[in-house]
Amino acid sequence: MLFLAAAALAGLAVTPSSPASATAAPAPAARQPANPADLANDECLACHASPGQTVTLPSGELLNISVAAEAFDQSVHGREGLVCLDCHPGNAEVPHAPVTAQSRRDYVVQRYTACAECHADKYAATLDSVHQRALAGGNLEAAVCTDCHGAHDVTSIADGPRSAIPQTCERCHSAIFNAYQESVHGGALMDESNPDVPTCIDCHGVHDVQGPSTEAFHLFSPTICAGCHADPELMASYGLSTAILETYVSDFHGTTVLLFEKLAPDQETNKPVCVDCHGVHDIQRVDDPKSTVIQENLLVTCRRCHPDATANFPAAWLGHYPPDPQHAPLVFYVNVFYWVFIPVVIGGMLIFVVADVFRRILNRRREAGPERSRRARHE
Amino acid sequence: MNRAPRRYLRFRRPDRAEHLVLLTSFTILAITGLVQKFAEAGLSQTVISALGGVEATRTIHHIAAVVLMLEAIFHLGTVSYKVFVRRTRLDMLPGLIDARRAWSAFLYNLGLRRHPPQEGRYTFAEKAEYFAVVWGTLLMAVTGFMMWNPISTTRWLPGQIIPAAKAAHGYEAILAVLAILIWHMYHVHLRRFNRSMFTGHLKEDEMIEEHPLELADIKAGLAERPADPKAVARRRRVFLPIYAAVAVLLLAGVYAFVTFEQTAITTLPEPVDVPVFAPLTATPMPTPAPTATPAATVTRAPTASLVAGATESPSTVTTTWKLDIAPILMPQCGTCHGAGGGMAGLDLTSYAGAFQGGTSGPAVVPGDPAASLLVQRQQAGDHPGQLTSEELARVIAWIEAGAPE
Repeated sequence: MLFLAAAALAGLAVTPSSPASATAAPAPAARQPANPADLANDECLACHASPGQTVTLPSGELLNISVAAEAFDQSVHGREGLVCLDCHPGNAEVPHAPVTAQSRRDYVVQRYTACAECHADKYAATLDSVHQRALAGGNLEAAVCTDCHGAHDVTSIADGPRSAIPQTCERCHSAIFNAYQESVHGGALMDESNPDVPTCIDCHGVHDVQGPSTEAFHLFSPTICAGCHADPELMASYGLSTAILETYVSDFHGTTVLLFEKLAPDQETNKPVCVDCHGVHDIQRVDDPKSTVIQENLLVTCRRCHPDATANFPAAWLGHYPPDPQHAPLVFYVNVFYWVFIPVVIGGMLIFVVADVFRRILNRRREAGPERSRRARHE
Repeated sequence: MNRAPRRYLRFRRPDRAEHLVLLTSFTILAITGLVQKFAEAGLSQTVISALGGVEATRTIHHIAAVVLMLEAIFHLGTVSYKVFVRRTRLDMLPGLIDARRAWSAFLYNLGLRRHPPQEGRYTFAEKAEYFAVVWGTLLMAVTGFMMWNPISTTRWLPGQIIPAAKAAHGYEAILAVLAILIWHMYHVHLRRFNRSMFTGHLKEDEMIEEHPLELADIKAGLAERPADPKAVARRRRVFLPIYAAVAVLLLAGVYAFVTFEQTAITTLPEPVDVPVFAPLTATPMPTPAPTATPAATVTRAPTASLVAGATESPSTVTTTWKLDIAPILMPQCGTCHGAGGGMAGLDLTSYAGAFQGGTSGPAVVPGDPAASLLVQRQQAGDHPGQLTSEELARVIAWIEAGAPE
């Protein structure tokens, strides 16, 4: 999941195709200008390479129209040989049409849809994202393509370290990043470059990132956690239980959440999912003193929903481990009792019933036998 | 003799009513309980959905549980009445003889005995089932109480009792349902459909087959003990208030069972406030602010050495438009200020155009570089299509020399 998401992001940057040949298979290396009338980058840079050129926007802000040619050449688009007009097709004519944006942000919001020319699938995915919904709702600060990927200096995700992902999100969500950085996941990524831990996009998705405050996301979230935590290969090096999902789902909380998720995904429930007990961005190891689910803190966590709970109550939860004789002997032996008792009782009943059926069939045949021969003699 | 086949009363109306209540509540409990136990199964989810969701399913389960508890209290009354007031025989009590009868019935079925055992009013199969119901209901009530009131339970008992109660509750349910499906279905419906629980009666041939000893007792007039009506009335006067008191206590117990505790909050837990949008910079990805003057490191930018370059320019060599200036201006300026009047009406691709200038005035004033707009714009250093310092120096030298064609 981690790698898939990363690859999906990387895909954005490494598969450009020219706008005019969008239907053709992309062949970036041998790229020819789609239109012979296209201006070469040099012609654009003749003007735009000079630094410090600006257009004053109605908002009073200055729009920088200079391009750092070297940065573009080093960008993934520059390396693939894209030309300025691929992204700025409206600027083929000189003089250019006047800028209509009211502000710098307005300009970005007007222009970012150029990405859709080549990256239509990624763009379509963003249309369902929380960022797009915010943008459509009039929030110009909502992130668009270039906010995360950059514009002239766009890089491939594959080129950067994984830590670049949360650092990208940090630009807008710094408070959450700070919490993440202190968590077991974020700490492992930022300090140890651990390849197993999730970055932002592994849980939230990439282009179609959803708002985590919806009930649907809340109810679905255990599946996200289970994606890694139920994976024996991934968990082997950490010695963690992979039975997290089935132990959760077989419990009262999990059963409710499972059924709500299946039957009424938008229904609000106060039954907890993983993050409600373990924490979200600030999630800690279960043996960390800061953990919300370490023995010492568990009662406080339970009391968020069970205010009258007392010291024994948290032990009613067996902690994601199937009952065994050491940790949950009572539950274990109740189970063992019924594993023996049910087959013995039901098996005994079946044997008795089958024998009874056998006897009755036999009796009926015996009764019918003499009857038939008597009737035959009579006729 | 009576022409009509003789019928024998087996279950009175209250008994049959009890059975109906038991049958209904048990079925509802089994369905609403098992779909929760096997919540991942598609069939369970269909049922839960049809019942109106898991919360509704749990409510139905709880209501059926209360009905079953009330029925149990009623049953305690009818049984006690029979035992203490009417002094009926305790022929429902299982004993060693029932084990023996079961064993000989089994041997008969296998063909190892010539005759099946003779049964009285209640067969060993019926007694086994009755005590399974009594035992099962008690166990379900106790474990159900724990699951319904986990906070109160763990006030006195270790926390592990709750999952243990849940395990027992679930397995006991499976046991009960399987027993009903196998034992009850076979003995009462398949083997011979015994309608007495609904009609109240058994026919003579049924009595002969299933309860021959009872039939013999009835025929001998021994089935019912003779009761002195006065003694019965006296015992009833004692029994009724005692049972009433017990029943009130038990009903209070049921009420407590249901209302014992408020296990969890009924609202959503207090939300944790997280500042979602906390940008590091004022806007998420600011366009880099332009610098007013070009940075010294940029090679194409003109610098302050412009004046020095001008003085060093060799004045002896004649600089001409055609040979020197047009090759500089054509590529750098011609894109915007092209033939036919480019931006600002200026055409820098022809000698005449340069002299004619644009809307701001003539671009070139021969002999006076400072008055030439071309030089003014380029010296400011922020014009698109910026000339290098050497190129600009040559332009200035050309203007100083009178801007020859």
